[in-house]
Amino acid sequence: MTSPVPRPAVICGIGSYVPPDVVTNEDLTRRLDTSDQWIRSRTGIATRHVVAPGTATSDLAVEAGQRALKSAGCTDIDAVVLATTTPDQPCPATAPDVTARLGLGGTAAFDVAAVCSGFLYGLAAASGLIAAATAERVLLIAADAFTTLIDPQDRSTAVIFADGAGAVVLRAGQVGEAGAVGPLVLGSDGELSHLIEVPAGGSRQRSTGRAAPPQEHYFRMSGRDTYRHAVEHMTAASRSAVERAGWQLANVDRFAAHQANARILSAVADRLDIEPERCLSNIEHVGNTGGASIPLLLAQAAQEGRLAAGHRVLLTAFGGGLAWGATTLRWPQLTAF
Amino acid sequence: MFEQFKNLLVNKLKVSPDLITPEATREDIELDSLAVVELSIMLEAEFGLQVTDDELLEAENVGAMVALLEERGAKI
Repeated sequence: MTSPVPRPAVICGIGSYVPPDVVTNEDLTRRLDTSDQWIRSRTGIATRHVVAPGTATSDLAVEAGQRALKSAGCTDIDAVVLATTTPDQPCPATAPDVTARLGLGGTAAFDVAAVCSGFLYGLAAASGLIAAATAERVLLIAADAFTTLIDPQDRSTAVIFADGAGAVVLRAGQVGEAGAVGPLVLGSDGELSHLIEVPAGGSRQRSTGRAAPPQEHYFRMSGRDTYRHAVEHMTAASRSAVERAGWQLANVDRFAAHQANARILSAVADRLDIEPERCLSNIEHVGNTGGASIPLLLAQAAQEGRLAAGHRVLLTAFGGGLAWGATTLRWPQLTAF
Repeated sequence: MFEQFKNLLVNKLKVSPDLITPEATREDIELDSLAVVELSIMLEAEFGLQVTDDELLEAENVGAMVALLEERGAKI
């Protein structure tokens, strides 16, 4: 068990937002060679929310951020951290714009880029800001308009990825308090960076001075290899996080994993001996929302009463980088928006 | 060997036992490519066998998969 951080970050508010437009599996069968049955059995997804033309990640982030602030009952924020893979523009970071639109003025603001592990890496950043007393309160938002990266003709990704945002307010707290973020387990494997990527549009391609073929501007993922590494790393990181918290896997009340794909979730839960009743899931209705996945799941589960105060929660994520993480916490008393 | 492989498919991958015959193809036993990844992971974890999901996907039917395992010196 790891010695507890003297000034842990404590979750004291949570909010989430998905854009109103919905795409069903039926809608997808009209432009892709697929079926509702194939999509459901392969991914567990029935519907997903997508941004309307002209809507950007900051729009999702501002909504979720407002809801988290309402949940926390405060607007006194010292830093805004935005975890995203789909910034509004390549430069500057999207966080300062979001911060200004939330009425938080000159507050410190930056983006964290860790793809589907963005929320966990974001928790690490927020925890660090609080531990060093750089901030008393941090607004951590994870938001992605992932559909903006997707090739609409690529069946393997078009059925999975979706848009949404989740946000939490974290404040400096006491050891052992409900809502205190537990020891964080983080890892990466850059040798496999090519498994999950958007190859073009960055310095590697731009420094060649040559335009890239259109497909290279789209997100691509090696499905089978990703599945294998996701199961391996989410399982290992989860075990490690539980051990460092001084828990047993049997103590975990709710397992909240990044909603990548229902098959990955059940494979990991199976290996951890966590029964379906203890697993939180909303992928059926919202798809894979990238970094937003975990806070969106937690907020919706809290609103629906599937996640309640006192529940011991295990969080884990895996995605592009490759990057992964896990942590634990006891769910606090709060109203989720 | 066939029986042990069949038990693995039934117990771990929830394949219906009456679907499993040596002539059954991957589609016949309803194993999609993600299930094949699972299978290759299990074969390594449980029996120390190195069989890639690509190799399993290339096998024509269950009989061919079993032959592949036997070739790899499987002692399930």
